[in-house]
Amino acid sequence: MEQQVNTDTALQNIQRLTDNIETVIKGKRNQIKFVLTALLAKGHILMEDNPGTGKTVMAKTLAQSISGSHDQSVNFKRIQFTPDLLPMDLIGSHIFDDVKKEFIFKKGPLFCNVLLADEINRASPKVQSALLECMAETQITMGELTYKLDNLFFTIATQNPVEMEGTYPLPAAQLDRFFIKIIFGYVDEETELNIYKDYMGINNNLNNIQQVLGIDEILFLQQQSENVFVHEEIIKAVRNIVWSTRRNQDILLGASTRSGITFLKCLKAYALVNKRTYVIEDDVNDLCLPVLDHRLIYRNKEDKANALAGIRNAEMERLSKLKINA
Amino acid sequence: MKIEKLHSTKKIAAQLLLLILPACAIGAYMLWHINQYYSVLNNQWVKHTLYLAAGLLTGCIFYNYRFRFISTFIPLLLLLLIISRVIRVIFTGEFTAFYAATDFFIFSFLFIAGWLIGWGFARLRYFPIILSAVLLAIQIIVVSKTTDITAQKLIIAFAPVLIFSLYIIYTAELVRNMNDEEPGFAWFIGRKLIGFALVAAVLLIIIFSFFNKEFKAIEKEFGGGGKQEKEQDKESLTKQNKDGTLSNKKDMGMKGGRKSSKRLVFIAKLDNYFPGTETPNPLYFTYDYFTKFDTLTQTLETDSLMPSNDLFQPDPSKIPLYFTQTDSSVLIKAKGNLKRKIITTEVYKALLSPKDFLAPSTAFFCQPIAVEKEYRQQFKTAYRAKMYVSDLNSAYFIYNPAGDSTLLNFQQQRFDELRKVKNWNNEDNSFMSYYTFIPKGDSYDSIRNLAQQLTKNAATPIDKMIALREFFLSKDEDGQPLFKYTENPGIPGLPSANKLTYFLFENRKGYCAYYAGATLFLLRALGIPSRVATGFLTVDRSDKNKGWYWFYEDQAHAWVQAYFPGYGWIDFDTTVPSTEQHQSPAPDGTPPITVQSAQFVSFGKVLTVDTIKKRVEMEVNKMIFHDKVFELKEPVKLDMDVSLATINKDTGSVTLSELKKGMEITAMSFSEQMKNIIPIDSNSSREIFSKIPKPAPIDEITILDTEKEKQQKKEIKKEKEPFSLLKLLLVSLAIIGGLVLLMLSLPWLIYRWFRFKALQKSVPKQKSYWSYTSTMYLLNQLGLVRNDHSPLQFAKQEIDPRFNTNFSSFIQVYLKTKYSTQPLTTSEENIVSNFYLPFDKAVKNQIPFKQRFNKFLNFYRTINYFTKPKI
Repeated sequence: MEQQVNTDTALQNIQRLTDNIETVIKGKRNQIKFVLTALLAKGHILMEDNPGTGKTVMAKTLAQSISGSHDQSVNFKRIQFTPDLLPMDLIGSHIFDDVKKEFIFKKGPLFCNVLLADEINRASPKVQSALLECMAETQITMGELTYKLDNLFFTIATQNPVEMEGTYPLPAAQLDRFFIKIIFGYVDEETELNIYKDYMGINNNLNNIQQVLGIDEILFLQQQSENVFVHEEIIKAVRNIVWSTRRNQDILLGASTRSGITFLKCLKAYALVNKRTYVIEDDVNDLCLPVLDHRLIYRNKEDKANALAGIRNAEMERLSKLKINA
Repeated sequence: MKIEKLHSTKKIAAQLLLLILPACAIGAYMLWHINQYYSVLNNQWVKHTLYLAAGLLTGCIFYNYRFRFISTFIPLLLLLLIISRVIRVIFTGEFTAFYAATDFFIFSFLFIAGWLIGWGFARLRYFPIILSAVLLAIQIIVVSKTTDITAQKLIIAFAPVLIFSLYIIYTAELVRNMNDEEPGFAWFIGRKLIGFALVAAVLLIIIFSFFNKEFKAIEKEFGGGGKQEKEQDKESLTKQNKDGTLSNKKDMGMKGGRKSSKRLVFIAKLDNYFPGTETPNPLYFTYDYFTKFDTLTQTLETDSLMPSNDLFQPDPSKIPLYFTQTDSSVLIKAKGNLKRKIITTEVYKALLSPKDFLAPSTAFFCQPIAVEKEYRQQFKTAYRAKMYVSDLNSAYFIYNPAGDSTLLNFQQQRFDELRKVKNWNNEDNSFMSYYTFIPKGDSYDSIRNLAQQLTKNAATPIDKMIALREFFLSKDEDGQPLFKYTENPGIPGLPSANKLTYFLFENRKGYCAYYAGATLFLLRALGIPSRVATGFLTVDRSDKNKGWYWFYEDQAHAWVQAYFPGYGWIDFDTTVPSTEQHQSPAPDGTPPITVQSAQFVSFGKVLTVDTIKKRVEMEVNKMIFHDKVFELKEPVKLDMDVSLATINKDTGSVTLSELKKGMEITAMSFSEQMKNIIPIDSNSSREIFSKIPKPAPIDEITILDTEKEKQQKKEIKKEKEPFSLLKLLLVSLAIIGGLVLLMLSLPWLIYRWFRFKALQKSVPKQKSYWSYTSTMYLLNQLGLVRNDHSPLQFAKQEIDPRFNTNFSSFIQVYLKTKYSTQPLTTSEENIVSNFYLPFDKAVKNQIPFKQRFNKFLNFYRTINYFTKPKI
């Protein structure tokens, strides 16, 4: 049975968060939804696009919309990844305290609530793996000591698709850690015009972002998203899609079982983001590519566009003709 | 994917008019031409053209849509195969099945040929060239079959095909390249075609005028001058029945030659002797009379309405064994009492159909009789017939006119007797005018003149007839017979000339039908009532077995009968003896000498059957004892010993166990014991029964079909009889048409069904489902396909902006009903209940009816809707 979600407050909170972000990030409703989906699904998001499309602003806005302790906004950190970055630069290091005559742990930027990992593919694999371990485990192990990260730890990583020289593309296993990968994209012409018209406003807005939700409310939303009702046929559809990727001739590496579970988590979160307490077929349609595409290895680059979309369309066709409950 | 037209309607119309129609024409021509060489086509080239045209039309139109060839052609083949199987199954065991199957095969072949040609025109660019090559190849093959080629035939065979080839190659390219957007489109095409026709005509004229000599040379080389008389297919006076037996031809006209094969048709014992002597007097066996001349077809016909119809034509196969059928009215209608007597004959049929009845003129009695066991292999059935024959008739008068002094004397007596007849003044007018009818016309006048000229010295009718006969037997200046007998009289060269005048005045060669026909007209020209009789010539070759005659296939004959008041119809044969023909060399076999006469025949129901003791008890209703029929008022029980009996059914011999209580049977005895019973009172059946030995020795039992079975059989026959190929064609066309109609209207019907469901349901969940399905189906059919969009996106981005509807909000509610267990709110329920009809209306308002109609014809979209996409 569908669990009764404390719908009204949860849905209102979501609405508030979305609206708040939208005051700054204009014409990116879908992207905002995906970011929030990743947030509510307790996952992380990878954004791929050219520089200057608003990725950083997005992360900042999100962070500032959430109030942490002491009326401060939650801890937001940004790391610009470079090839010479070391893991210590992320997680921090033990330094000798002259006064106390002992080594104390100096926390790195990872100890935050919202992390913007800019150009993640420029860092060395060592650094990448350090970050990704944190993302997966929400804890940092230094020697014998283990440091817990905050309850709310959300990473927005970005990747630049151009200028691939000297980069270390993320291996499939690590890409798997990102629940969703989206292309941020440019806004449409009219929105762009509006942005220019009040570019000062953006700055102002950015400086005056209201803190609409507390960490607790975010955590509550994360918990609520677990309770979203998923119809059996939707679960079947996820299974079918995952299986199809394994059978497809154009796909070398199909989706894993973990991908399927991630998919379901994202579906639930996405439904909640869309102010619903049940998953519908449109969610599957919308999420299929962002959730699964980066986990697959294709035979050719050209197939990339078609293979997964074909699988999704076929499954959608099945779902749309399905006679349930009627 | 949607199936679209390859070309615009205008272009398709041009294709149909300019390519398909001429293709039909050339097809008709080719079929007509080929028909002359292949008898399987049965002169039905018009029908066959229709088959071909149907294939052409459907193929061309069908493939003007983007259907794939293989995936549509193979189902077509399968369909045809299935129908042919069905035909075979439906008509098992019937001869019609064979014809239906053959006809259907021809239909399939032509339809597929047409279909392929239609496909070619619609799809292949170089198809006209291929088609031309194929047509030429066909004509070459057909022409190579003929032995005598004339220039005319060559031209007939090839000219149309060549013209068609030129035309089709030219026009196909024209149609392909034309711009149908142009305003003067029709005029452009017309201009081009007129130009083409002019060029073709000029070319033809040039070819014919320049190469006339060459054509003649070719003619000489191939055909030897074209003057050779070609043998036409021989047609026999007998016809082969479907079951292999023979019958006399009904439409024995003046065509073809006679088949001279030596197969035995039947044998007969004829108890006819010259008065006062022991010399057997053979008589012609008559089958039918041809009395009416159809001026239109120039053939003699039988006529069941002839005045004084004295033809007795029972079906011996329908009379139970030893029972009789008589028609005494024949005796009066024979119109002759002088020199008449009643004689009997027994006919044993070999090849002759069991249904046929042959006997010397004026038969009135028929009684099927049993064939002795040893002879059953050779003779299937037999019957006894009684005739009221004239003493003046004899088969001898023609073939052995001279020789035996008895015969000569007798002939003289015959003539003297007949000279008593001077005129037909006392005869009925209608009778006379019917039997002396002769059409008007030059050729008949010439016959009349000839008749008058030949008989100017003769006083009495018989003398006139003798004069005619002398004419046929006369010799020319060189001492050669004027008339010759030939099986192949040749075809009169002049199509308008009358065959008879050709025969009488020019050719003077022919077989019996020619002589009979010519004589008939000569006689009628003289006012002598006469008719042609067909049947068998009786040849006496039986020195051993007096009175037994053997009838072979080549003895089928036609001759004339003339009517003499008081004497009746007298045989009169003018056919000259064949110089080539020899008497049948094979000596006649042994006849079944001991003609079995059934001493005792009883008819009735079976009461008990004892298969161990071989006893049968029956209830006798009717019996024949010593050839006398007794109708028993009270049924009598009869105990029978059947240990020696054979039991027959119409299907053949069966065992005793087949005999069941209640069956109607006839029991027969040939026993001596029966023969020796001499009743004191020959009219008392009781006395006879008392004298019959108990149990009665029975030799043969025949199980009769009970009335019910008979009726059932008749009904089955009746059901099967009116079967005709035309009907089959119509029915199958109707079925195909119905299927096509159904297929065309199916998309719409499905829509109506969904719509009905959407309107009928009231539970929100169901209503939303059916509304959704119906809407999506409608949009799909109208070409608005979801493609990559999710339903919600599709509704939001494409449908709602276009039609200004609230489809997306409906879909949201629908999806809620679909994937959630939450109940709908009242506002959501309102959305569901108020969605369908307004939406349907909005769509219909935006898309005009014509467009909707066209789109609903597209069956492929429907298929698309119901098929799963392939991953």
